[in-house]
Amino acid sequence: MFQDKVKFVVGPIGSNPVLSTMEVTTPQKVLLMSNGYTPKILQNDHKASYNFRFTLTNIEFAPSMMKWVKDNLKLKKVGILVPNDAIGQSVAPPLVKLYKESGIETVVDYYERGSKEFSPLITRLMAAGIDGFDINFNAPGEAGLMVKQARQIGFDKTILQMGGPSVPEIIEVAGKQAEGFVSYEMVDFDAPAVVPFVKAYAAKYGAGIMNSQTPAFYNTTKILFEAIRRAGTVEDTTKVRDAVEGIAGYDAGIYGPVRWTGMANYGVNHQLALPFYVVEVKNGKPVNRATLQVD
Amino acid sequence: MLSMLSNPVVLGQIVVNGLSLSSIYILVALGFTLLFGIMRVVNFAHGEFAMLGGFSLYYLYAVFKLPWLLAIALVPFLVALPALLLEWLVFRWFYQKMFQSMIGLLGLNMAMIYTGLIVWDAFERNIPAAFDGIVRFGGVIAPIDRLVTIGISLLALAGFYFLMVHTRWGLAMRAAAQDVDIAATQGIDTRRIYKLAFVVAIGLAALAGALYGQIYAVSPFMGERPLFVAFVVVILGGMGSISGAALGGVLLGFTESLLGTLYGGSVAAYASFGVVVLLLIFRPWGLLGKPE
Repeated sequence: MFQDKVKFVVGPIGSNPVLSTMEVTTPQKVLLMSNGYTPKILQNDHKASYNFRFTLTNIEFAPSMMKWVKDNLKLKKVGILVPNDAIGQSVAPPLVKLYKESGIETVVDYYERGSKEFSPLITRLMAAGIDGFDINFNAPGEAGLMVKQARQIGFDKTILQMGGPSVPEIIEVAGKQAEGFVSYEMVDFDAPAVVPFVKAYAAKYGAGIMNSQTPAFYNTTKILFEAIRRAGTVEDTTKVRDAVEGIAGYDAGIYGPVRWTGMANYGVNHQLALPFYVVEVKNGKPVNRATLQVD
Repeated sequence: MLSMLSNPVVLGQIVVNGLSLSSIYILVALGFTLLFGIMRVVNFAHGEFAMLGGFSLYYLYAVFKLPWLLAIALVPFLVALPALLLEWLVFRWFYQKMFQSMIGLLGLNMAMIYTGLIVWDAFERNIPAAFDGIVRFGGVIAPIDRLVTIGISLLALAGFYFLMVHTRWGLAMRAAAQDVDIAATQGIDTRRIYKLAFVVAIGLAALAGALYGQIYAVSPFMGERPLFVAFVVVILGGMGSISGAALGGVLLGFTESLLGTLYGGSVAAYASFGVVVLLLIFRPWGLLGKPE
């Protein structure tokens, strides 16, 4: 920012890096297009004056998804496994509250960050009589191992992820054990608008795994470029910020027309309202079960 | 909590989980304790040789589609023989220098992790299960791949014991472990014996990493947990003691399984490390180690 005179930042990933970055970018009027789950990214003393969030958080997707879970999966008692750290302890209570409001009981257990073996804890959850296992916001590698190990010790009921998403990574780690896994998903990889992007990505970066957030970065970069074009400047970030705020209706190609939301939850309409999906793994691939909208 | 123990299915699952964890932990700790026992080297890069073992099995079995038994048999050689170059470049300078080895090999550990990150990427890779499916004993369920790991651990432990106790090479290694100078005056080529011990230790780490990677996942960062486990196990059992590694592995595995199921992961970690701290205060040479 000071040396290279950067005016726009797309990223970084994760709540803490975003919060730290924001404290430097906002006073400098540098436009920050970021992700991360914490409400503080938009709900802050700066009134999110120069930052926008381009991925959904549980505040946006969980109410609609919970309604879908209640109507379609008919769960009575869900086991939740979270890391025993600041993330786990902040993620579990709202999730438990949301399940409770839907009439679903929960059992929460904590694991030590870095663990690879979850069988004892899943045995403990199974002994509590759960009929659903929510791997919620766990990192892809750990979430994949939870799915794999739950199936290996005989948990044959619903495994779902009300968070993430990291379906391709979970399929990679859990292999055949991922069959029937239900998850929140940010992108429909088979949608006509997404297929060319996936192909172009594979051509450039090889046939490795593409994270579900990758199209969102592309999407937001296109939104930013369009806003710069409309503002007619790359120097005056306030003008570009105003153009981003007024860009509703522009179709960046992946998620359809832009819609900003967030006033009710954060006091500012800087949250991108994307459509999202519920997918189920069938024959090793995610299959779309529902397309949902942010209320 | 204890009422869970009256449920035979839960109790059986605790035993199966405990056996499965113990077998992995023993395998991970064997090579680590060997290097310390003979060369007084604290191998902080142990987990990264396990990582190389994991990637070797990934390529041999998942990519090149070799039969699993052939692939797993090749892994220790594929990692340990090229590692002799690292022995010549790095390890040999730290023999009998415990504290220098810690810092030096911590550096090697970081170099290997980030070389792995450059060569591959940070994503976790799955090695398909060679023995898919589960076995049911009443209501208790055991994944077949875990049973195979238990079998391989027992074989490795037995083979390792045989090498150390019933062969001239083992006798030479034990002599060098007791006093390297006296061993040399008795005609033992200690440089050669060190190389042999190094190959065996790294081969075991690679084998452990291959099985660990197949059960969990393979990535450049996968070595952190095996290193951590190896440390706890050998401190429990006694640095340099083979039977101590076996006992430490069983203790840690069953503690995690029993307390994790009854009271949760935090209590299991608290108890495991509480025992380690107490042991370091009151019996720093470990349960089956020898005081120096």
